[in-house]
Amino acid sequence: MADTNKELSPFVTLVSADGFEFHVRRSAACVSGTIRRMLDVQNNFSEAQSGVCHLENLSGIVLEKVVEYFYYNEKHHQSSSVADMDIPADLCLELLMAADYLDT
Amino acid sequence: MTLGQIDRADEVAGIVFVDRKQSALTDFLASHNISAQQINLDYQARLARQQADQAAAAAAAANEENNANGSDDDEDVAEQKKRKRKEEKAIAKIKASKEFKRRKFEHHRAKDSDDDEETDDDALARDMMKKPQKAPPKPGQFANCETCEKRFTVTPYTLAGVDGGFLCTKCGKELKDEKSKAEKAAAKSKKKALVPRVRKRQQESDRMEGNVKLGAKSLVEHCVRKVADVVNDIEDFGDLPQNLLDRLSQILSKKRVLTPRTLQLFLQPGIDRIAVYDCAKLETEDFNKIFAFMPDVERVNFRFAGQLKDEPFRYMIEKNPKLRHLQLDASNLITDAAWTDLFLHRGDQLETLKLSALNDSFRDEIVEIMASTCPNLKRLKLRKCSHMTEQSINFIASMTSLEHLSLAIAQESSAESLVNLIDSVGSNLKTLCLEDYCDADDSVLEAIKNNCTQLTKLRLTGSPSFTDNMLANLFDAAWPNPCIRHIDLSSNRDMDSAMGPNDEDDENPVGFGSNAMKAMMVHSGNKLEQLDLHSNRHVGKEVLLDVFDGVKQYPNLKDIDLSFVTHVDDVVMTGIFKSCPALEKLAVFACFSAREAVIPQGIAVIGLPNAQSAVETVGGA
Repeated sequence: MADTNKELSPFVTLVSADGFEFHVRRSAACVSGTIRRMLDVQNNFSEAQSGVCHLENLSGIVLEKVVEYFYYNEKHHQSSSVADMDIPADLCLELLMAADYLDT
Repeated sequence: MTLGQIDRADEVAGIVFVDRKQSALTDFLASHNISAQQINLDYQARLARQQADQAAAAAAAANEENNANGSDDDEDVAEQKKRKRKEEKAIAKIKASKEFKRRKFEHHRAKDSDDDEETDDDALARDMMKKPQKAPPKPGQFANCETCEKRFTVTPYTLAGVDGGFLCTKCGKELKDEKSKAEKAAAKSKKKALVPRVRKRQQESDRMEGNVKLGAKSLVEHCVRKVADVVNDIEDFGDLPQNLLDRLSQILSKKRVLTPRTLQLFLQPGIDRIAVYDCAKLETEDFNKIFAFMPDVERVNFRFAGQLKDEPFRYMIEKNPKLRHLQLDASNLITDAAWTDLFLHRGDQLETLKLSALNDSFRDEIVEIMASTCPNLKRLKLRKCSHMTEQSINFIASMTSLEHLSLAIAQESSAESLVNLIDSVGSNLKTLCLEDYCDADDSVLEAIKNNCTQLTKLRLTGSPSFTDNMLANLFDAAWPNPCIRHIDLSSNRDMDSAMGPNDEDDENPVGFGSNAMKAMMVHSGNKLEQLDLHSNRHVGKEVLLDVFDGVKQYPNLKDIDLSFVTHVDDVVMTGIFKSCPALEKLAVFACFSAREAVIPQGIAVIGLPNAQSAVETVGGA
């Protein structure tokens, strides 16, 4: 899933609209199809060179939850019958939009 | 360590618990590999070593008892003698008691020998006497604490210590705390043991739905479910994409919470489609609201629309000029007059019409009107409409624009009508579904072979007269139709012969059999995605082994139903797993010789009797 090219840093930075930065393991961030395509060197986006993704339509609080999901997903990558992640009710709609955008 | 394992361990040691009722503490101790039995044995061994001092020990015990009782401190010799006699009597009594016999039995089982019987008996009896026979001091009297030896007043709440003595308030409290702690721990460990079983249940449930993918659900799925949970607190969905709205509608319908209140969330002017999978709670004004809010709607899909009446239906015809796709289920309150209105006003723009479970209206005349007023209809699906007769099939035969045709109406229709239908519309068809037409025979197959060249989905079910050779012939190389992606040829079997293909010497057996199977997989195996062959019991084992030999590959096959194909066994199943790398779901209900095959991860196999095997593992002993 994640490309393990040696020149690539194992971490990428995700920046929310309100300026919060999250340093996330590349393999975890690539759970998202959108981010994976952003970071794919073959597509030659500026994100691929800098390793920084500006997600202008996500607020910090949503992005934090998204990042939590990235690691949750990676952790349970190979296990069967995974317990559901807890999602706060007031965040679920925004998170749903984010998830749809991120193709997660 | 489970209870079952303990039992087995005990059997190995030759010990049998006579009394199966165990306290939580015993359970807890057992779970930590501490056996009361073992402790007792050790104690007995120690006792045997101390036999020489036994008399002295007994005397000391008597004295101690004396002290503990707190009665007269200065007993005279006569009284002591009396006491001794009493003790002997008591021992004799104990020896006669059932409890003693039981303990003795246990003891011997444990020791597995008969030597020292007498002394053992004495020791046992004395041991038993020591504990329960001790007269408890009455409340209000003084006693010495068993642990800290402090003198205190006995109350009704005073607790007994481990050796049968009494405990002062402080020590008693400590003991109680300890006990409750142990109980809690035991309960906790029990709870922990329960968790995997609950999981397992969920797992089985997921498996039935064909969902055995490893790893976590997608974040979208997480959120959609959460949104559905809290839907009553949500004011507005905002501009969710269409596919998510649809998924939400599905979940809410399944939970039966698609009420007028939640319906409001789905009504957005900019959207061109509305799908409500359970309209049971919607009434006239709700339907009106839908059509008023969404003037641009193109696709309307209402299931269980039992309360959809003529009025909102006419309102829809009037207000929604772009309507092109209509799917209604169980809308029995719509009269034939309203149906006529629909076709007269919107018939020329309709591209999809799917109707099911209409039992009160939509007669042959309406079908005739539909056939004459819908020149652009591409998809037509009619199921379980009880007023349609063979005539309807003849009317449908005139709709040459059709590309997708699914019929499960007028099932008593003759084969000629069906042949006529296929002859006239077959050449454009991409989907052909004819369900349960009991008179359909080889002539229908022949018509399909002669007319259909673009099929990607073929469903022919429930015919008792298709022959194996003709089915095989349909799929032979002469048929110009490319690979079919979805094939459902289930329940095509000879009703009369219960056992296997009719006769060995029968030239042309009835029902989907080995030849058809072979020909079909050769024809469509490359692109086939979905295959339903349930209840085709004449498919032979050799052909199953040959088709799914693990070498031939069916790269797209995801979903197979081989229920009641009785020749499926472990070897065949293993072959299927090897031959179908993309397989997601395999149904093998009633395939009784398939139960041991190793199922690769990520494939949902349903219909195996694993409820039984699960019981076997859990039961243990």
